[in-house]
Amino acid sequence: MSLVAEVTRVLVNGLQQGAIYVLVAIGLSIILGTLKFVNFAHGALYLIGTYAGMLITLNVQLTGGKLMDWGYTELGLGWGFLPALILVPILVFGVGIVMERFVARPFYDRPDTDQILLTFGLAIVIQEAFKILFGGQSYNFARPAWASGPVAVPIIGSFPQWRLYVLGITTALVIGVYLLIEYTDFGLVVRAGTRDAEMVQLLGIKITRPYLMVFGVGAALAGVAGVVGGPLYAVNPNIGTEILVPAFLVVVIGGVGSITGAVLGGILIGEVLAILVAVAPQWSQVGIYVLAAIVLLTRPQGLLGDEEVVP
Amino acid sequence: MDEGTEHAEESGAVVERTEREFPSWERIKESELFVIGVTTLVVAIFPWVFADAPVISGVLNGYRDLATLMLIWGIFAMGFNLLLGYTGLLSFGHAAFWGGAAYAAGVFSSQVSSSPLLIILAGTVFAALLAWILGFISLRRGGIYFAILTLAFGQMAYYLALSPLSEITNGENGFTAVEIGPLLGTFDLRYPVPVLDGLLGTWKYVLVGVMTILCVAAAYRILLSPYGMVFRAIRENEQRAEFVGLNVWRYKLMAFIISGAFAGIAGSLFTIHGAYVPLQSLYWTASGEVVIMAVLGGVGSLFGPLLGAGLYLYVENIISGVQKLTLPFTGPNEWIQLTSEPVVLIEGFGAYWHLILGLVFVAVIVLFPRGIWGLLEDIVARVRSTGGDR
Repeated sequence: MSLVAEVTRVLVNGLQQGAIYVLVAIGLSIILGTLKFVNFAHGALYLIGTYAGMLITLNVQLTGGKLMDWGYTELGLGWGFLPALILVPILVFGVGIVMERFVARPFYDRPDTDQILLTFGLAIVIQEAFKILFGGQSYNFARPAWASGPVAVPIIGSFPQWRLYVLGITTALVIGVYLLIEYTDFGLVVRAGTRDAEMVQLLGIKITRPYLMVFGVGAALAGVAGVVGGPLYAVNPNIGTEILVPAFLVVVIGGVGSITGAVLGGILIGEVLAILVAVAPQWSQVGIYVLAAIVLLTRPQGLLGDEEVVP
Repeated sequence: MDEGTEHAEESGAVVERTEREFPSWERIKESELFVIGVTTLVVAIFPWVFADAPVISGVLNGYRDLATLMLIWGIFAMGFNLLLGYTGLLSFGHAAFWGGAAYAAGVFSSQVSSSPLLIILAGTVFAALLAWILGFISLRRGGIYFAILTLAFGQMAYYLALSPLSEITNGENGFTAVEIGPLLGTFDLRYPVPVLDGLLGTWKYVLVGVMTILCVAAAYRILLSPYGMVFRAIRENEQRAEFVGLNVWRYKLMAFIISGAFAGIAGSLFTIHGAYVPLQSLYWTASGEVVIMAVLGGVGSLFGPLLGAGLYLYVENIISGVQKLTLPFTGPNEWIQLTSEPVVLIEGFGAYWHLILGLVFVAVIVLFPRGIWGLLEDIVARVRSTGGDR
């Protein structure tokens, strides 16, 4: 394989890696930017999305956990991938709404640290509940049949087809959210809230419903990320906490509240990971933290972050 | 004349007496000697009560090694609380100092000297220096970002130990070449203490116990000092502290370093205790555990985190082994037996322990932000105030 093909392949891989981070990070970022709420349970929403997606898509043979003890050896609807892609966001949107109403809202006036602790506790509870129900072992979220094989791509040659779908779905979703935030009244409130939440309230805008929506949309994106990313990795109860740290890094690098920032941050992290995996695999994981440190030391508000938003 | 003074006049004698008695008791309770004395007493009898005392130990099901581990994690949680409880900074990266010190102590023991005190010194110094660097970077952003950044850089330490530095750290197998020599060149840590072995057990416990007492003394001294006052001022209102002319950033960094050093002492003791450093000690779940311990026990109090650490380890190591949670004194029982058949509350309880702990953690944050210790203080205050009214 030629050098150009090899480099392109690595870059596309990086894009695909970053895509999942982008989906998770956008939700984190707009919730953090608009509601000033740190959601350590955001990874748990990704976890819910993955399991729900797997159960809608496939008939899963259970291999452990309480559900199996209770007599369910096989679970899942087996409806295929597209229904999951539509149903899971709706489901996780609902979870997000409930979370905003009953978890986040009572804590808006409590100190930041209490918010973090609460959502951290919640993340543990959700993760443990999944561990008890489905067991701690990994499940295989198979790719849809129509996208499982490799496909010939110009320049690169043969490439796993699913990764291209991941890129396509993510791009479509990100554009959708971008349009929602930039060109609708809802988006206007969100953007204003990111700049100055107090002023939005003083202007007489009832922020209760936009806040619910922001949380719901953010959660739904994490849910979709779970469905899209599920077939790429093994599915187990720890994936939620595993994706949380890189997602936070994306937010920090890109700048809080900025969608373009989250996209840029996600792509940067994905590319750094992919390039280091190809060049110096030992350093791949460390690299993204070094990147975060460098960005932070030079631009504390993040690459596309707003200076004024920094609390 | 308002109602309060009227009431006071009516029961004047009672008020006078309590006023005479309480301040002196308060003063004794607050005095450094008293705090250290009580700590010493509790540390000295703790393993015996926990593992070998009649009746109590039978109920507790404790064992001596767990008592040692509880004190080690207690030091870690106490150091963590110096940061969260007194400065209001929530760090999710303390595993870096705990695990970092554990590795530093392990490497030091195999390469330089196996003297336990020098090992502790090496681990602590390493953790303090690491805290300096990570604090310098993380403190560039406050509040929520601080939590995220410490989390991120803690993970960085984990991945560094996992592969680029695996020649030193032995990668995912953990560091096994730990060598622990005799304490002060004479006392082998594995041997029981002569005469007092029924009470204290081995020299290892003596070492851990003495370190615990020293740490309590140091933490208490810091909190009573003007330095500790500044920490609290920063927690209450950072801006105001800044306006008064304090260099808030420097104090925060110092609090972070002190807290890291405590984690370092605990981490080094952990290496001495197990003669092994697992890679997991650097993973962010270790940071999460110490967060849970401190918050569960109660932040903003000296002893709350110690209580929380003990409780957490107790649940993790002993309650998790309980398969059936039954009502007390039902079924076959050594002491009192109410019914012949056990009344089972939860079947397969052991599997649920983490979930239940998580739920309790959430409940504590929502209902008792001052933790179990704060709850106990409130109860004692309530009981005393009703006593005073009579």
